[in-house]
Amino acid sequence: MVSPGKEGKKEKWSADLVLDLYSDLLGEIWEIVSALLGETILSLIFILAIKKLGDKYPFLSSVKVSEEGISLQELRENCRTMAPVEIHRGFQGLINHLFHLFSVLAEGVISRELFPKVLPKVREAERIISQR
Amino acid sequence: MPVRLIFKYLNVLRSTINAISMSFEIREIVESAGTNLPSLFDFVSFGVLWKEGPHLYLYQEESCPPSFTQEVVKNMISVISILGEEPMDVNQVSLHVEKRKLKSKQVFMDPEATLKSHLTLPLAAEGEISGCISLNSEQPNAFDAQDLQFFSVIGYQMAATLKHFQRFSSIKNIAIYDTLTNLYNRRYFEERLGVEVQKAFHTGAFLSLVMVDIDHFKRVNDTLGHPMGDKVLCEIGSVLKNSVRKKDTVARYGGEEFILILPDANLEAAFMIAERIRRMIEKTPFEIGQAQINMTVSIGISNFPSHQARSKEELVKWADQALYEAKGGGRNRVCVFDSTKR
Repeated sequence: MVSPGKEGKKEKWSADLVLDLYSDLLGEIWEIVSALLGETILSLIFILAIKKLGDKYPFLSSVKVSEEGISLQELRENCRTMAPVEIHRGFQGLINHLFHLFSVLAEGVISRELFPKVLPKVREAERIISQR
Repeated sequence: MPVRLIFKYLNVLRSTINAISMSFEIREIVESAGTNLPSLFDFVSFGVLWKEGPHLYLYQEESCPPSFTQEVVKNMISVISILGEEPMDVNQVSLHVEKRKLKSKQVFMDPEATLKSHLTLPLAAEGEISGCISLNSEQPNAFDAQDLQFFSVIGYQMAATLKHFQRFSSIKNIAIYDTLTNLYNRRYFEERLGVEVQKAFHTGAFLSLVMVDIDHFKRVNDTLGHPMGDKVLCEIGSVLKNSVRKKDTVARYGGEEFILILPDANLEAAFMIAERIRRMIEKTPFEIGQAQINMTVSIGISNFPSHQARSKEELVKWADQALYEAKGGGRNRVCVFDSTKR
């Protein structure tokens, strides 16, 4: 996984930067929630969430989900020419939908574990992107 | 959490998973999970919602008042809708609710209780949502992260077992159904009785066994031929199936003998069902080719705990003895096992 800093100070408002930010975020969500739900159920939830948002953000279908985790490798190859803001919106939609699903499934149980660790990063990602 | 307690929970979890993976059909899964879960969680209701075409089946703890059940159904349907590709319209599906006694202790729920917290997990096969399982409580914030961890292990096992059911449904059909009558076969009966007896012994719930034998069946075979005899067996099988409750099991025990497992049925209830069967068969004219014939059956009943059976074998043996009494007493009658003749 590539951290945003690795690309150097002259980072551009690029698709790669957005993908790096969301790769980190999704990885963090995966780590926390898989400890609660297990990899099998969580991968199913991710797959269903991506399917649900597929009409609105077709590029999300290149996100590969398995019981091992999430890979954005294929997506990285496919969406170099995409507008970063579009990628950002797609992932924002995905994360919001996942949070909604978690809350529907287990009310506050997942959110209590997830939000303190992930919400600051979501905000930070949004801040970085909004500055570009 | 103290290590000793963790081991206790892991043991309960292990036996729950084991019971689920040994199940043959969804209601067995529900019961296996339902009877073990109270040792792990504090909840008022455990439910499984299962989708089959336009039908939705809910299996739930029997103590739930109707309004609570409604809320649970609404919640589970909304979970399936949000997860699934297409929203599910509650008014477009036919819902079948089957309530079962899942907890060993008698639970009394406030009839006005409302759903305050829940844990709900999807059940999926081949990436398709086919239902969900849910723990429900009338208390707010009744569950924590550890509950979710345990529950997701159970949810995973249930989903995996259901996936096996779908893959092997045709093999399962051959293994558990009698090919002539389409009733359960003896092998399935033995398995099912084991589960029901264990549950009754554990909870103290009633369990009745009803053994049915067609009177003078040999005459049908000898005079009208075996194909006609087979037809009679099928028709009597279908009378039996239509005379019992949803939760009962009807099996072909062998030859012209059938056996019924009636969970939660005391002697009076079992006798009533048996008498209804006897009368219905007596009144039904069986069409055999151009002719109509009348048949009768003899029936024997045994019951737990009334007859203090200590094993499933004793329960079967005593139903058989009662059936023998019915035959000896002139046939076309129902006899209850007489404990003094043990």
